[in-house]
Amino acid sequence: MSLLERYPNAPGAWLGELPITSRYTAGLAGERFLRAIKDDGKIMGSRCDRCGITYVPARQFCERCLDELDEWLDVGTKGEVYTFTLLFENLDGTAREEPEVVAFIRLGDGGLVHKLDEIHLDDLDIGMLVEAVFKPETERQGSILDIAYFRPTSP
Amino acid sequence: MGMRKVAVVGAGMTKFMRRAQETGKELSWQAARMALASCEMTLDDIQAVCLGTAPDAFDSIHLKGEYLSDGAGAWGKPYMRSYVGGGTGVFAPIQGWYHVASGLFDAVLVVCEEKMSSFYPHAQGAFLTIFDHTTERPLKPNLLWIFAMEMNRYMQTYGISKEDIAHVAVKNKRNAADHPCALLGNPDITVEDVLNSELLAWPVNRLDVSPVSDGAVALVMVAEHVAKRVTDKPVWIQGVGWSLDTAYWTNRDLAYPRYVEYAARMAYEMAGIKEPRKEINIVEPYDPFDYKECHHLEGLLLADRGQAPQLAIDGVSLRDGDMPVCPSGGLLGVGNPIAAAGLMKVAEIFWQLRGEAGARQVPGQPKRGLAQAWGDLMQVGTVVIMGTNP
Repeated sequence: MSLLERYPNAPGAWLGELPITSRYTAGLAGERFLRAIKDDGKIMGSRCDRCGITYVPARQFCERCLDELDEWLDVGTKGEVYTFTLLFENLDGTAREEPEVVAFIRLGDGGLVHKLDEIHLDDLDIGMLVEAVFKPETERQGSILDIAYFRPTSP
Repeated sequence: MGMRKVAVVGAGMTKFMRRAQETGKELSWQAARMALASCEMTLDDIQAVCLGTAPDAFDSIHLKGEYLSDGAGAWGKPYMRSYVGGGTGVFAPIQGWYHVASGLFDAVLVVCEEKMSSFYPHAQGAFLTIFDHTTERPLKPNLLWIFAMEMNRYMQTYGISKEDIAHVAVKNKRNAADHPCALLGNPDITVEDVLNSELLAWPVNRLDVSPVSDGAVALVMVAEHVAKRVTDKPVWIQGVGWSLDTAYWTNRDLAYPRYVEYAARMAYEMAGIKEPRKEINIVEPYDPFDYKECHHLEGLLLADRGQAPQLAIDGVSLRDGDMPVCPSGGLLGVGNPIAAAGLMKVAEIFWQLRGEAGARQVPGQPKRGLAQAWGDLMQVGTVVIMGTNP
């Protein structure tokens, strides 16, 4: 067949890994942010008083005025669901029995995109309060996935 | 031409290093902040931001321009990334220049960043797909052996030896020993060290080629009325030029970079330069390989064809010679975070013309300098000429 035609047997998804990989550094702020999660189970923000913004995840500098952000603060582990979606298909196109829930959880003036679990789908709502559930300390690796997921909570 | 005058009034630079802990955003921020602080300006004074950075693959972030935007100070501002491969670092300030020369903006921040260490196992992998997929890639080319062939052709055409060219690597790595941001400065290196270093792809040995690096550089470029307000030592952009040769490697003259000549002629004409060898005091040509400094000096019409290595051998291009070349230490000595390395050359001219280059300062109060970079599919030349007079 011609290369100009769509190849009917092309895989719908590429399973496994491509041969090119990358090794990133978390950065100066990222290192400190992830260590706080791993070692202390804390989510940290950094504050720019001049611009009145608490960045979460914490950053090294304010993007609005380029000041260095020396003021780090624990923003707690609870935040509101700002928006969410339900994933009904896996990446390879197969249907899921139960949808996976991913959400943007507002923390400080930023927040985290993460998974929601331990939740009844009927209860799921924008504005609901959720809290971070951390992996056991021995399993944490300095990754954003050291937070296993967020679950509903009360104030 | 109806263009406004444009001055560089501030510059900042991170250390160039093998593997930075900082993210690319953080490197960009450090350079941007230093550049603004150097001219006592703040982000509020900046109306637009120009970013230069080479392939997305290096940082392993697609849409790298957008990724780096916060570190470059682009929040809420007109922002654009330019990219002409290795030529980017001297093209980004050209973009900054026409932003201001056109009258559109009075003050712009130009930031160039590269973080090549992310690519695993080696940044060379980022180049594997730049070659033609049908005629070249089946042979698995990489930049080292492509340039080894260009170097060989250059040597053959003019009867130049590896030893002749090694003098350039020695000069630049020795110069870099005086640069506080340098990765590979070495005051004691000799021609024998270069010739005896690991042979990679004949005629290229390890010390003939610049290192993979991480780093960022930033400039503040402003219109005349702003320049007069913020500094009594503005450095003016006198001419800019850029030109592209064929994308077919096999249809290019490998012994002579004609595209650099075209770019240089454009810049010389704009600057009113008739006799470049008499009118240019300092040169920062692009030197990712030692032979490329020679190649580019010839393309810039600053050396006769095949004669550029002699400038290093005779000491003409040393820091205290008649025409200092790469007084910064160049890519061979300071390091080669692609786009940042090009802008480092423009920053070096800025510091040299202001007399602020410290231990690297060339004597004699230079009045005019030229920075040049080279890239894309090894066929673009970018040139900026700066001077103490507008």
